[in-house]
Amino acid sequence: MATIAASRIKRELKEVKADAELIKDDVSVELMDNSYLALTGEIPGPKDTPYEGGTFHLKIIIPETYPFNPPQVSFTTKIWHPNISSVTGAICLDILKDQWAAAMTLRTVLLSVQALLSLPEPDDPQDAVVAQQYKENQDAYRRTARHWACAYAGAKSSSRELDEKVERITEMGFNESDARDALSSTDWDVGRAVEKLMS
Amino acid sequence: MGNCLTGHAADDLSLLHEEPDRVSERLGPPPPYQEAAPVYHLSPNQRRTVSQLTEEEQVKIAQRIGLIQHLPTGEYDGTKKARECVICMLDFQIGDALRYLPCMHTYHVKCIDDWLMRSFTCPSCMEPVDAALLSTYESR
Repeated sequence: MATIAASRIKRELKEVKADAELIKDDVSVELMDNSYLALTGEIPGPKDTPYEGGTFHLKIIIPETYPFNPPQVSFTTKIWHPNISSVTGAICLDILKDQWAAAMTLRTVLLSVQALLSLPEPDDPQDAVVAQQYKENQDAYRRTARHWACAYAGAKSSSRELDEKVERITEMGFNESDARDALSSTDWDVGRAVEKLMS
Repeated sequence: MGNCLTGHAADDLSLLHEEPDRVSERLGPPPPYQEAAPVYHLSPNQRRTVSQLTEEEQVKIAQRIGLIQHLPTGEYDGTKKARECVICMLDFQIGDALRYLPCMHTYHVKCIDDWLMRSFTCPSCMEPVDAALLSTYESR
């Protein structure tokens, strides 16, 4: 079985690298070592989303039983999205769980993850805090997701106002990523964020 | 990890004409002993060895094996439209053992049987194989 997994990945890699649609979209996959069982992926944030302009990295672990079981995919770039854990990068996507089928490929997986960035599903959340914000305060969600894309994924044109709030809290002696996490989950209310960090 | 079906009766079309209970009688439930315990999959995410299965689950697996054996098989002769098994992504070679699903998708027997033991759907079109099987029987 391990041999099917490795030989399939070998073939899929060749196909992904030659796929005109993926190349045009700047979606790519690379091997992490020579085992064909660990890969890294890269997807650009889709247009007209808060992720636009950012580059998001994925870790793709191929189980020995592939393609009978789905690959394990998670984000290694921090991202603010209802279906992706803001802490671990774990993804909640049906085709990576019970809707997986043996005919699906790395190409399907990459395109589905990219589509998930455009179309969050807050009713099937991975990160409850982000999902709640998405449902109750779309504007805060957008600004936070944008801020994270600028801070972690290299997107440009971040909001000066949010950057200053992070700075204000780091000046109090807190670490930048903790400050950002606290502000993000309190809809950028500095007072509540500090309270959260102190508790 | 072995193929769940190795050891069972080879595929032949005569199975299609047999009474279903005679088939399950012959296949029987999976034997409860066996040194290298085969692993069974009730769904793609659940893997258990025989000793961890309830009686009900064993019956379900035996029925599944019986149903899989009802699906027609053949040998690749190079004349069909399908040229590749999308599970292992290898091109069919003359003489390869193939299995045909009711939705007309074709795979290597060893590839598709392993998948069907986890999920009884076509990996290409997601059509549930048992529903399609029933409708082919009804239309006869």
